[in-house]
Amino acid sequence: MAAGWADKEDNELLALIQNGTGQAFAVLVERHTDRFYRLAYRYLQNRAAAEDIVQDAFLKLWENPALWQPQRNSKFTTWFYRIVVNLCLDQRKKKKPEVLGNDSFVADDRAPADELMIREQEQKIVEKEIAALPERQRTALNLCFDEGLTNQEAAEVMGVNLKALQSLIMRAKTTLKERMKANL
Amino acid sequence: MSDNRDEKLETLLRSRRLEPASADLAQRIILKAGQIPQTRTPPFWQSVRELFGEFHLPKPAYVLASALVLGIVIGLSAPQETTLAVDDSSVSVQGFLTADEALL
Repeated sequence: MAAGWADKEDNELLALIQNGTGQAFAVLVERHTDRFYRLAYRYLQNRAAAEDIVQDAFLKLWENPALWQPQRNSKFTTWFYRIVVNLCLDQRKKKKPEVLGNDSFVADDRAPADELMIREQEQKIVEKEIAALPERQRTALNLCFDEGLTNQEAAEVMGVNLKALQSLIMRAKTTLKERMKANL
Repeated sequence: MSDNRDEKLETLLRSRRLEPASADLAQRIILKAGQIPQTRTPPFWQSVRELFGEFHLPKPAYVLASALVLGIVIGLSAPQETTLAVDDSSVSVQGFLTADEALL
């Protein structure tokens, strides 16, 4: 790929996509696929489903590039995070997530064989508890902790003000601490 | 104690397991896009929104304009009976006056 393409800003690429330039689309997809996949995976906990969501989101953009309106959206990633989140929520509504049996998370009284097992169990518990959080609290956590977005960016993605976002994160953490008492 | 719990929770949140995406995901998306034609014309509502966007009128102006249009429509669609009724009354008043004059 020519270096010139890789150097282009997202906004420039989007303008080119609106003119039907496939190469600009390719650069944009290669640049951002992983980050949007990460977010989709957090919601769906399934690789194939997360990949489908990312593909759908990008194809929607390609098919109808006029969806991107630079005068209304300051940053491509903020806007696209919103699209991916909405697609994930729609997907979850259509298909209820598989509820893993409680037996997977029952705390074991015996000492675990090694550190790896403990970590694995903690991970399972944290995933289960995050999945049980209200939608908005979960989105706030995913955006801030996984994607490394600043609170301000996450607030923009969610369409709330900074204070509301901070409150969502605080409530989510309080709930998690309460529910994971035994594991923290 | 509480600080330790906070710290541990933060660590857990930042080290969540992630199944990596297929290595060819981006390529698959690009290939698939190549088979899909782009929509050149913006959707109807988007065009309408853009059209309104061109005017940059404040909201009260839209309200005023809508009220004016509504007023005109109601005005034009008012039944004609009222005017007829007025005519009838004027005729009868005239008749009464004429009859009165005749008596004199």
